Amino acid sequence: MTQRADQTRPGDGPARAYDGPGASSAVRGINPRITAQISYSIDSTIPGEWHLRIIRSAIPAGRVTGFQTALLDDDVIFLTADDVSDLNTFGCQIADQVVLTREPKFVGDAIAAVVAPTARDARVAASLVEVDYEAVPSVFGEMDAIAPGAQLVHAKHYTSESDSAYFDMRPQDGTNVCHRFRIRTPALQGRDEPEVVPHLDDPDDALADAFADADVIVDEVFHTPAAAHVPMEPHATNAQWVDGRLEVTTGTQTPFNMRQDLAHIFGLAAEDVRVVVPFMGGAFGAKTFIRTEAITALAARKAGRPVRCVLDRDEVFNEVTRHPSTVRIKLGAKRDGTFVAKRIWAYVNTGAYADCGPGVAQKMGYAGVGPYRFDHVAVDSYCIYTNLPPGGAFRGYGAMQSIWAAERVVDMMADKLGIDAVELRRQNLLHEGDTFCTGEVMHDARFEELLDDAAAAVGWEKDGDRRGKGVVVILKGMQTPSKAEARIELLPDGRYEVQAATADIGQGAGEMLTRLAAEYLKVEVDQVVVCAPDTDRVPYDTRTTSSRSTHMMSRALADAARDLQVHGTIGHGYVSNDGGLDPDTGQGIASSHWHQGSASAELEVDDETGIISLSTLYACSYAGKVINKHGAELQNEGSMILGLGTALFEELQYTEGQMTNPNLSDYNIASALDVASIRHRVMEVPGGEVHGLGETAVPPVPPAIGNAVATFGYDVRDLPMTPERVLAARLGDTFQSPTGEDPQ
Amino acid sequence: MNLTLNVNGRAVDVDAEPHDMLVDVLRDQVGLTGPRVTCGVGLCGTCTVLLDGEPVSGCILMAPLAQGKEITTIEGLPEDDEVVASFDRNHAFQCGYCIPGMVLTARDMIDKGHACSREEIREGLGGNLCRCGCYLKIIEAVEEAAQ
Repeated sequence: MTQRADQTRPGDGPARAYDGPGASSAVRGINPRITAQISYSIDSTIPGEWHLRIIRSAIPAGRVTGFQTALLDDDVIFLTADDVSDLNTFGCQIADQVVLTREPKFVGDAIAAVVAPTARDARVAASLVEVDYEAVPSVFGEMDAIAPGAQLVHAKHYTSESDSAYFDMRPQDGTNVCHRFRIRTPALQGRDEPEVVPHLDDPDDALADAFADADVIVDEVFHTPAAAHVPMEPHATNAQWVDGRLEVTTGTQTPFNMRQDLAHIFGLAAEDVRVVVPFMGGAFGAKTFIRTEAITALAARKAGRPVRCVLDRDEVFNEVTRHPSTVRIKLGAKRDGTFVAKRIWAYVNTGAYADCGPGVAQKMGYAGVGPYRFDHVAVDSYCIYTNLPPGGAFRGYGAMQSIWAAERVVDMMADKLGIDAVELRRQNLLHEGDTFCTGEVMHDARFEELLDDAAAAVGWEKDGDRRGKGVVVILKGMQTPSKAEARIELLPDGRYEVQAATADIGQGAGEMLTRLAAEYLKVEVDQVVVCAPDTDRVPYDTRTTSSRSTHMMSRALADAARDLQVHGTIGHGYVSNDGGLDPDTGQGIASSHWHQGSASAELEVDDETGIISLSTLYACSYAGKVINKHGAELQNEGSMILGLGTALFEELQYTEGQMTNPNLSDYNIASALDVASIRHRVMEVPGGEVHGLGETAVPPVPPAIGNAVATFGYDVRDLPMTPERVLAARLGDTFQSPTGEDPQ
Repeated sequence: MNLTLNVNGRAVDVDAEPHDMLVDVLRDQVGLTGPRVTCGVGLCGTCTVLLDGEPVSGCILMAPLAQGKEITTIEGLPEDDEVVASFDRNHAFQCGYCIPGMVLTARDMIDKGHACSREEIREGLGGNLCRCGCYLKIIEAVEEAAQ
């Protein structure tokens, strides 16, 4: 492979001397990312490789009845579902996918592929293949898909043996629900309840007594749409078979899950699969688990030569999305503001395949409970199949969807009670030693400081005029359970090489590892090099997701450095965070440490146009200890900017399951023009532990804006808060999507 | 068709179809990786190159139209370019994929005196998207380079 796999890489390039906290970079000289002196996945090639184009279903559900391929050149290799008969099914949490399918389940599902000597030849060949279909009824909205008698997307439910399936699944037979997650605090357990609650107005009789002590109840429904990750670099994969071993060079956040899943698909031992991960031009969750890798490996096997696959932008849009969701929240409080009970129903649209939707549904469930004390909590999260493109990991991982609903409901409760919205939050916050709804005892809880900081940023005065202001405080979890291993090797030239599977998505993983290793080894940063994640060379790590890497890998590296000092030339470090939740009661350990954040907004709404003008958008995220000041600021700013787009304009639209805006002309993301109001803080405390920071500021931004907008009388329930929706909310209407597919 | 392109002060012979886009020719035939395709429709700015000093979107410019003009990519900026140095000092990048286009656009704004205020800088960078969301530090970097 011509890629950098066998080379060590010093952070991003030649290292420079460590000049203390706040230094702009661990790299000596101009950072090579600025001058295009690094290779991304898309820049990696293998000599002699051919090019793959995927042929995708034009119908949302049905059967492929035939292909017409008479126009293809003789040298073009054509692959169909017939070529996958010896391959195993896959799916990180539920094995419900095949590499090429005869029964497409969304517009864009891979049904065939062509391989040709050049990218142009492959593109032409793909356009010459005609496909015959037999359509069957389809279902797109999550509430339609969970309705009794709905068309089933999959005829039966599946399980998965993958490491990514880290909790027991609760598929509901005869429905599109591939996983149901529940939280029931002790007094609410063991009731006789319906297996599935498909209606948003369900009276919830079985648990109604949870609200017996509540004087006031707010019970409302909110919606968030599908959204696109938009990594600037598309998915790019190169694959080849070398003496029966599969070698894949690809942009992935999950190198070891990838190795395991590819080995399973092709019936290989894990050691017979090598996954090499070059730098990525962003991912935000889009480059997790199997994406382009299995089809490229299959094509390389059939072609008997290396094969390359790079997705077009519209394919990137359709490859994986953020889960659309409908969330109903019922909050009960006493007249004095004390929260009594919370009930959540989260309906999570995972599209045609589960991917990690079950995990997203679980996290959506408990994040919506929020950093508050309750006597009783009951949550139902349903991960629901539909005929939309699959939902997957997305920066914020489900927390945004339920927090949008939950933090809007807290303000509604404040209005009903006539209590200041910040004071109502303060009155109910979790403190050190309090018990969360999962039974976990909170530690290192910083919610009050975060709340006060966000309130101060918009000049919030207790019981003052709060028109145009909104404040939000949140918690979100980190991947639990998980494992991280790291190795440090003393090289013959006296430098130390860090071997770790943390993938460099653009978040600065190489720099983080360099700085930490130098600190633990008590050497200068230019004595540390970091090798590319290569499953042949680096030890196991769960994956680079959920803001876990700095927190977990910092401790694995410290362990490795101690081991090295004892053993001389190679040090091995290992940490695990144990835990997990019971899927029926939600009791256990949701997160071995909590991501804690707050946000606030100050804005105006134009009465005539519905346009929101922000004067301040602020977020404060708890970091404990910061490793790299600029990196931490960039992660916090980037999270806020993503949250801003989520709040105001990002929405994937569909007509009959066909995405109608899979391009950057019709799907807008935030630009430099949108950021003038942004300020933020990364909160450190003396002696604090290292906390993840990669996405904490995403979830609080939409409800901070929504709460501020609501002070003008615009009660917006559906994201994004477009001018049309804002105006419709004033009239008391519920906005109807032009596609008619708005599940409300 | 055979074309001769002037890329970063060097004449390069390439063989391209008339409808090949400049960015693809620069990547596939000239061997440069600084110009990048993201949106493919001239909106995101990652394919930005300077054509006789003017920023253009290489993903929607047919390569033959660049003949006879001086094409500058990030690889062609001098090592001591002040915009590059300012992006580095301000740590104005994360994944870096959009940064070459940002730097070239900023270079043009500064050369023309169109980076005199934050508002002007935000306007000028409006066609260069960064999904990591590094805009605050990018704006600071351009402001500093312009001084």
